[in-house]
Amino acid sequence: MKMTFWALVGCLVLSFLNSPAALALNNDELKMGSSQEYDSLNPLVMSSMISTTLHRMTNRSLVNLDADSHWVAQLAKEIPTLENGKAKIVEIGGKKKIIAQWEILDNAKWGDGNPLTCADFAFALKVAASPNVSVGEKETYTQVEKIDFDPKTPKKCTFTYEKARWDFNRLGQFFPLPKHLEEPVFEKYGKEKEGYEKNSLYTKSPTTPGLFVGPYVYSEVKLGSHVTLTPNPYFYGPPAKIKKIILKFISNTGTMEANLVSGTIDMITTTGLKFDQAVTLDKKIQAQKLPYQVVFVPSVTYEHIDLNLNNPILKDLRVRKALVHAVNREELVKSLFDGKQQAALHFMTPKDPWYTADPKYVAIYRYSRREAQKLLDEAGWKVGADGYRFKDGKKLSLEINTTAGDKTRETVESYLQEQWKQIGIDVQIKNEVARTFFSETTRKRKFSAMSLFAWVSSPENNPRSTYASAAIPTSKNGWSGQNYTSWTNPKVDQIVDQLDIEFNAKKRVELAWELQKLYTEEIPVLPMYYRSDIAVLPAGLKNVRLTGHQFPETNEVEKWSF
Amino acid sequence: MLTYITRRLIQTLVVIAILSYVCFYIMTLMPGDPVEMMIASNPRITSADVARLRELYGLDQPSYVRYMNWVETVSKGDLGYSRTYKVPVTEIMGPRLWNTFVLSFWALLISIVISVPLGVYTALKPGGKLDYSLNLLSFAGISIPSFWLGILLIIIFAVTLGWFPASGTETIGFQPANFWEAMKDRAWYLFLPTISLSIQQIGRFVRFARSSMLEAMRNDYIRTAKAKGLTRNIIVWQHAFRNALIPLITVLALSLSTLFSGAILTETVFSYQGVGKLVYDSIMSNDFNVAMVSFIISVSMVLIMNLVADILYGFADPRIAYH
Repeated sequence: MKMTFWALVGCLVLSFLNSPAALALNNDELKMGSSQEYDSLNPLVMSSMISTTLHRMTNRSLVNLDADSHWVAQLAKEIPTLENGKAKIVEIGGKKKIIAQWEILDNAKWGDGNPLTCADFAFALKVAASPNVSVGEKETYTQVEKIDFDPKTPKKCTFTYEKARWDFNRLGQFFPLPKHLEEPVFEKYGKEKEGYEKNSLYTKSPTTPGLFVGPYVYSEVKLGSHVTLTPNPYFYGPPAKIKKIILKFISNTGTMEANLVSGTIDMITTTGLKFDQAVTLDKKIQAQKLPYQVVFVPSVTYEHIDLNLNNPILKDLRVRKALVHAVNREELVKSLFDGKQQAALHFMTPKDPWYTADPKYVAIYRYSRREAQKLLDEAGWKVGADGYRFKDGKKLSLEINTTAGDKTRETVESYLQEQWKQIGIDVQIKNEVARTFFSETTRKRKFSAMSLFAWVSSPENNPRSTYASAAIPTSKNGWSGQNYTSWTNPKVDQIVDQLDIEFNAKKRVELAWELQKLYTEEIPVLPMYYRSDIAVLPAGLKNVRLTGHQFPETNEVEKWSF
Repeated sequence: MLTYITRRLIQTLVVIAILSYVCFYIMTLMPGDPVEMMIASNPRITSADVARLRELYGLDQPSYVRYMNWVETVSKGDLGYSRTYKVPVTEIMGPRLWNTFVLSFWALLISIVISVPLGVYTALKPGGKLDYSLNLLSFAGISIPSFWLGILLIIIFAVTLGWFPASGTETIGFQPANFWEAMKDRAWYLFLPTISLSIQQIGRFVRFARSSMLEAMRNDYIRTAKAKGLTRNIIVWQHAFRNALIPLITVLALSLSTLFSGAILTETVFSYQGVGKLVYDSIMSNDFNVAMVSFIISVSMVLIMNLVADILYGFADPRIAYH
């Protein structure tokens, strides 16, 4: 209801907007808009996407996943690997571990001119390991057991990893903390629950330049309103070209468009518009030749339908196959999304190096109503007088749930309902507000048949948490794990265990393909489409590359210019 | 009078204490908590992470224990820490409460100044052209959805004419040379949201003022006053208006109680940094500390303003006595 309401507001704005403010933009200032507000500027405790977007303007990590989905060195001189001899597998106390040599860039400095050293990474590890600091995914940090360095060569660090995993060097989320500024805070408040984060300079004094190592530092932070960023004079890379960046937080996406057209903001970030609004705005921009460009880039967000495999109807593989065959996903993305989002084959996205669409490795279900009907006939579901199918007097009826008010998902639901009706399946829609849907219905596996939502993944990510049998949420494990379908396959369990420790890249790809094969053959989930990242850019703004993954475009913000 | 006020204040405190627990308990019954929201956005969070975070946030405790912890913290003068914004509640609530107060105060003041004379005037000449016209405009003001009006104002005055900013609270990076410049800048940003909020209130208050005044003008004492040959001004303002004040005081007192509650839709449409949207978001994201503080403020304001209204009744009508 709420979403429909704001969608109406958006439509109202679009219907009126005719006279865009003349754009006279230059490198002096860029005003961006976001509908999300950041949660924290402290890299250890931040969790929202907009925090990450901001963080990449002000901070950097040892490595980064670039817009082409390649891992590249950022604060490090090079990425240590077994092949280049900068890393090795060792056995300590009967346990296999990895020791890697990381060397930090000579000119990498904090915003106050202090050099960035191994001590800053070791300090971040110490803080993250504290039980009193609310780091979300702790393993990001604690996978590194210890960081050693010689004070005479403070930029040469020896990382000892707790486990020998192939992806040990993918430390894109392992951020350093300025020890010279934050250590006194941690020493004083670290023993209190959340004491450090409440008193950290990132909270108390976020405009302190020494907290940041990226191309920009904050010159003004106004909670809930905006932040202003200015170039960091000590940035190790080429100086940022735009002299001032303002990020405004405008929660109403309808108002966001009015702000764009009135010139209050110059661009909308990937955390700005909803898909349907973006499509409408794109058409408007093209029709009226407005000086903006709506950019759609395929992302790693996978929209799908989780099937409850404990449902007696869905236990039958033939029914699951019929459900897939009956949906024309190509037409779905074309008619509902103007082809700006891509039909999905399985849980991996084309951005992922492990992705395959080769029919030799994955089962591909072409749209075929005839095939779907045949499968249902074989499964014993016969067409009744009303056009729906019945078996043992029971109607073939399934319930589908999603987040109420999400216009795109609700449209998709209606489309699917119609397609499944054509093969005799009765589908009832029962949507819920997002917090109930995610915290109760899916997490506690309370959906009776089908649940439509999305997972955000990252390239070459082990899908253990969504498909391993140990990840089936139960009351015993505190409803942790995201295998909501209850898919249990010993082979899958074996593969996800192997994936972590397989150092041969070719063999890893083979394992990933096998996983995709099992997934597409057994269909625990109905793939729908891969979502796109969307941003609105002003004409003339150069070098902005949307990435489509969790390392946002602001990783290259210093290159942006008019 | 003093005894009456003291007794009412004690009652107010008891009601606040009871309602605060009820509110806290109801919030704990809502599905989802901050940790679950983290899981939804990051499937890599492990069960160990979940258990650790729940323990750290105190979410593994029963509701009454959490409530007592909250009371203990508040009694020490610490309003707690916002889970959503990762800052102390005072830091986020303080400026937003002030912004909301400024917006609501001006909207209310403008509404009262415009609507009460109009209401009285239309009541004195019921059925006239002006009465019909003002009635029509009042109903229009009440009926127009505030988001619609807000967007309309933005389109006309911000996008098309460019006279006022489309959103915000103050000019980013603006360094006022003096107090008046700062006031001018704030007024520039306040204009559209204030007008948007006032239009609805004006419609409502005109209707109340008109009906109260109409009712008062029908009383026998008005006829007697007229028979006595009193001037029209004395009849209207000293006899009729004073008696019409009691229902108006009730309505205005209740409106005053919303000074700190915020106007979610208006604040959202104009991206005005008020408390309304903050409270809504805090409830939706189980940000208990923010939600509880705003709840206490809202309840206190309603109770205190009711008390103020009760006291004002005595001034408006000397027949009312306090025991």
